[in-house]
Amino acid sequence: MRDGDREDLELHRRLTGGDREAFDALYRRYAPPAYGLAYRLTAQPVLAQDVVHDAFLALWRAPEAYDPARGPFRTFFLSLVHHRAVDTVRREERLRKRQERVANLEPSHDEDVAEDVVDDEFVAARRVEVRAALTTLPPEQRRVLEMAYFEGKTQVHIAEELGIPIGTVKTRTLAAMRKLRRALTEEDL
Amino acid sequence: MLRSLSGADAAEADRLLADHVPGCSVCRETLAGLQSLSADLAFAGGSVAPPETLLPRLHRELEPVDRRRNPVQLFAVAAGVVAVVGLAGLAVSQGMRASHSRARIADITEALNAASEPGASITPVGPAREIAAPGSEVIYVYGAGVPVPPPGRQYRIWLVAPGRSATFLGELVVEDGVAFARLSIDPSLVAQILITLEPSDSAPRTPGEVAWRPAA
Repeated sequence: MRDGDREDLELHRRLTGGDREAFDALYRRYAPPAYGLAYRLTAQPVLAQDVVHDAFLALWRAPEAYDPARGPFRTFFLSLVHHRAVDTVRREERLRKRQERVANLEPSHDEDVAEDVVDDEFVAARRVEVRAALTTLPPEQRRVLEMAYFEGKTQVHIAEELGIPIGTVKTRTLAAMRKLRRALTEEDL
Repeated sequence: MLRSLSGADAAEADRLLADHVPGCSVCRETLAGLQSLSADLAFAGGSVAPPETLLPRLHRELEPVDRRRNPVQLFAVAAGVVAVVGLAGLAVSQGMRASHSRARIADITEALNAASEPGASITPVGPAREIAAPGSEVIYVYGAGVPVPPPGRQYRIWLVAPGRSATFLGELVVEDGVAFARLSIDPSLVAQILITLEPSDSAPRTPGEVAWRPAA
């Protein structure tokens, strides 16, 4: 288990007992990536704020919802944020008309606001690993993953937009996830 | 999660998750892997500093943690758990429909009152919770985000005690993603409950396919 994951477990344990300092520590670590994710999906700062706010509030109110036996805390929490953000996007029809650049996995130089955010060492290290793993994906697989994950689009929409059969979308998505999973698992070893 | 990464229609995703995934070890493992991937992709997108007002806003809303929570507050906690259980992609209604809300809220309030009693036990049984107030002859089984049983099948609750035949307690009814049952038991009995998934037209003689049992 990584040190960061171990720290998260301890912070979560303290959070379960109502420790606000533990809550703040988890906020400092995960609010920036959570907000970055929510903002990329919603393209609306207010909506992104609400997504992150609701996720942290749910964590405070029901910390027992995280089961350490099921995986690292970061998996639980960021999946929660992603789920809420996708629901928000699909609810807000007008959010479909967001700029292509928001979904780009490689932020343009002047928009790499991650440079302005001092992520803690654990988060920063994980980002490097994941981005490296993403570069191993063929462009067509990476594109469908971008559209599904960062734009919250359904497979039908992706197929229509790319002009490919829906079966191809499914195949590419699954292949991308398997490849990514394999690459990241090797990193964890 | 399944919807977002696979792009499946919500209804199809919910059907798969409710009907197929629980019984398929390959799909359960795949889903767990996808959830992990979802978190990792969040890192890939990069971080953005949230507004400075967000943490103070949260601080204003963080209720003091108190084991003796009142039923309304515990209901708010349960509602939070509904949203969090939704993380697993289970079919969840974020709120209850007005047509069912009054009766269901009354049921759940009763259960949460029991949960707030000193010495009450709350035991996870799969996605549900068994709630028992000390010395009470009534136990509640309550769960948000419980998948609806497939057509023709129903959840059944059994009481299992050492040295005794299993006793059928009743059906666990799921409405709007919320499962609830109020059951009568002998409070002196040391026992645990099982939740099975069985054909609706079968006689409840012995426990069938176990859906969930209490966490160890």
